[in-house]
Formats: sequence, C-alpha cells, structure tokens
Amino acid sequence: MKKRRSPFLTISFYAFLFLIAASWYFVIGIKNASLTELFSKENLEYANKFFKGLFGVGQEEVAFLNRDSWSDAFKLTIETLQMSIMAIGFSTIVMFLTVIPAARNVADGTLTLSRRWYRWLVFGLIRVSYIFSRAIPELVWAMIVIFIFKPGILPGAIALALHNFGILGKLCAEVIEDTDSRPIRNLASAGAGRAQILMYGVFPTVLPQFLTYILYRWEVIMRTTIVVGFVGAGGLGQEFKLSMSFFHYTEITLLLICYLILVIIADYISEKSRFFVK
Amino acid sequence: MLSFDLHKRKFLTVFLLLLFAWSLMGVNWREGVMHSSGIGTAAEIFAAMFTPDLSLDILLLAVESSWLTLAYATAGMSLALILALIFGILASGVLSSGKHSRTLMKGSFRGVLGFMRAIHELVWAWLFVASFGLSPYAAIFALAIPYGGILGRIFADMINDVPEEPIKALRATGASRLQCLFYGYLPSVKNSMISYTMYRYECAVRSSAIMSFVGLGGLGYQIQLSLDDLLYDEVWTFLYFLIILVVVIDGWSNMLRRRMAQ
Repeated sequence: MKKRRSPFLTISFYAFLFLIAASWYFVIGIKNASLTELFSKENLEYANKFFKGLFGVGQEEVAFLNRDSWSDAFKLTIETLQMSIMAIGFSTIVMFLTVIPAARNVADGTLTLSRRWYRWLVFGLIRVSYIFSRAIPELVWAMIVIFIFKPGILPGAIALALHNFGILGKLCAEVIEDTDSRPIRNLASAGAGRAQILMYGVFPTVLPQFLTYILYRWEVIMRTTIVVGFVGAGGLGQEFKLSMSFFHYTEITLLLICYLILVIIADYISEKSRFFVK
Repeated sequence: MLSFDLHKRKFLTVFLLLLFAWSLMGVNWREGVMHSSGIGTAAEIFAAMFTPDLSLDILLLAVESSWLTLAYATAGMSLALILALIFGILASGVLSSGKHSRTLMKGSFRGVLGFMRAIHELVWAWLFVASFGLSPYAAIFALAIPYGGILGRIFADMINDVPEEPIKALRATGASRLQCLFYGYLPSVKNSMISYTMYRYECAVRSSAIMSFVGLGGLGYQIQLSLDDLLYDEVWTFLYFLIILVVVIDGWSNMLRRRMAQ
C-alpha cells in the first residue's frame, strides 16, 4: 500500500526548489557575480600573496616562530576561554531563573497540580523573550552591548549569553515538558511545597539532560568567541581583527592555530561528557 | 559506562561553579565595567524597541536587505547540502569494502569535515574577502564550507546509526555497495536529514545576516550602519525583520517535521 503524501510536503519541496533557483538567479543574474572573474589573474595574485603572507614566506618576523608572540597568544587564549565560560555561566543562570514557568506543562498546571491565571501570561512573556534572544545573532548583540559596556571580555560574554540563553531556555523547557509527571504528582499529593517539588521532583530528572545541552552550547560559544571579538569584545577575535587591519599575516596564522586548539578541546570535552552524563 | 550518582554530581557542581568564579576574575571590576553614559544609552536603545522606524524608504530597504540575506543563505545552504551529501557519505565509510580502507576513509574524511566546521563562517568570509575581494561568492562559500562540515558530520553519524538488518538483507540479494546506499541507507535516513537541514537553514539565515560585517551587504550591514549613526529606531526595524525571517523559517521547519513524523 502506498502512503499518500500530504500536499504540504509537496508544496514545501517545490517552494524550496523555487527559493534555491531564485537565489542563484539573483546572485548570478542580478548581482552579476561570475566565477571566472573570481579566479581572474589579478585575484589569484592577491590570493597567492595573502596565503604566502599567512605562512610567512619571505618575511623577517614570523609570529608563529617567535616565543613572545606565543606567550601573548597564550594569554589571549586563556582570556577567550574565560569569556566562553562566563558566557555560558550567565546564560545558565538566566535560563534556570526562567525555565520553570516557560514549560508548557507548568503553565497549564499539569506538573505542579496548581492552576494560576497569570501562569500563561508569564509563559508567553518568557517564550517571546526566548525568541527575541535567539533570533538576533551574537555579533549583532555584541555591536549593541559594546555601546553600553567598556571593551573587554565582559561585553563579549554578555553578548554571547544574550544569544544563547534563548536557545538554552527553549531546549531545556522542552526537557521539562517531556518529563514523566507521575513522580511529581506523587510529591505534590504528599504535600510537598513548590520549592520541594522543584528540588526533589523536577531537578533530579532533568539535570543530566540540561548539562548535556549546556555543554553543547558551550562548545558552540567557544567557536563564536572569535566573532564577538571582531567588534571589540576582547579575546582572540579582537587581536585577529587588529592583525588583519595591520596586515600582520603571520600573527593571523598564530591566532588561528590557538583558536583551532581551543575549538578542538571544547569539541572533545563536550563529546566525552555526553557519554559521562548518559 | 560510568555511573552518575549523587556524590559525583555534587563534586561536578562545585567544580563547575569554581570554573565560573575563575572566569569572572578575568574582568577588571574595580575600574567600572560600563561607559560613563552606559545606562543612558541602554535606556535609549531599550526605548527605541517600542518605536521602530516605519517610514516607507526604511521599510523598502529592510525588505530588500532581507531578501539579500535570505538569498545568500539559500544559495550557501544548497551548496552546503551538496558538499555534505558527498563528504557525509564518504565519511560514513559505507562505500569502502575492506576493514582497513574503511577506517582510513572514515578517519580522513571526518578530519576534513572537522576542519571545515572548526572555523567559524565569519572567519571564512574574512579569509575569502581578503583573498578574492568583495563578491557574493565569498559569502556563499563562507556559508557553504562550515555548514557543509556540520551537516556532513551529522549525515555520516545518521548513516552509521542505520540498523544492520535491512542492509544485510539487501547485501544477501546481491546488491552492490552503491545500490545498498541508494536503496538501503539513504531512504531510511531521509527524513531526519531533511529536518536537520531545515534546522540548520534557520541558523544559516542568522549567519548570512552577520556576513555583512566584512562588507557583504544584507540585514546585518544595515544594522551596523544605523548603529554607527546612533539611529536606534532604524536598528530595531531591521532587527524586527530579522526576527520575523527567523521565526517564519522556524515555523516552517516545525510544520515540516510534524508532517514527516506522521
């Protein structure tokens, strides 16, 4: 027996094909971007020069062979690490403060067995703030935050936290929605208060899952720290941008190496911890 | 597996809290962390949230740059999908026959995918612009490489997680490796591939918005220009357009996922 495809899927498929075609038409037809021009002789020469610069061919001072620049870069790497931990710390704190009322089964009272009229209002407000925070990319948050805070790792961490708390909140609220409500009802009928329900009923079941998500986001944050640095929010990114503007190409290579090491470490930790939490 | 009992959990909590405290020490708190007029600026930006600039030319500009952002994201994503399918299938190792060649193939292509996704798309964009100049292709390639890496790795994981039995049945009827791929592996992971791609598409729109930062146009570019002119009302108009774009794609992918799960 053949399963009938829903028309929605077919329409979506064609809409996608249309979108892809329109985008490529726009890029090639209207923007007049041509691949051959991209690989013109002039551009190839630039690219050649740039990559030679990166590898320090024919340069007197090569940053990644220099001890002082390695120790500078190490300091920046530590700073970047601190920024990422601070960012995930901030977003975790805000997430914990908001995640309980943001779960649908708390809002409609099935989890805590108590119904309040304002629950849905709080639920809606928090969910809208989640959408807001995750729809705006961290770089844009950083551009705004840098207007308010002095340059350094703090604005970077705040910008990263602003973007990630929405994502963490959404993921974790879904975890709470998926929890088994029976043990919690049991607690409630045994006379546990709200705080007790949270401490003994909700948190023990959801914390391992939360931790997985937090580590996963930390890994992503690690990757984006370099980006918020571009607008002056400290760490490797800021130095990366400066070296780019001063044409210190070998320094860029050094910074990229440090960045890659950080990313690989974060990747490894989050991968291993996933087994650990399971 | 290591057991995760209460005692260990307490230990872990203390460790994580200490780590957070250490990170806070990296900030110079004593000299003040805000600009002298920081609170005033924050209030202004917050107030502008409720009065976005809705004049006609700003709206037209916003629509145009939204389209640019969407077009770059779509074009980049379509390339990423092709890259991911090729590298993902190779990295899953289902095409190689011997045990040694399989580990070799898996290791090398997973390494390539790891490298592709380790570098953030904005850094790729910057490298491309620095070497090739401002061209839409810089944005598209910069999106396609890291997203191809992420998608490829996930696709490879999905293919590896396919249950053995149907594949064995296919092999028994004399199917070649390639036939196994097309009639065994791909049909069973198709739905999860599509839903993951949709999720990544939403991320790609956000990334394409920040490509502007290296001068490639789009919503982020307009946001940056308006911020530099201190026109917070306009900033919020563009931000609302970005939010709408992301929310619409998110809603679409949710609907698709629900239909496919049926």
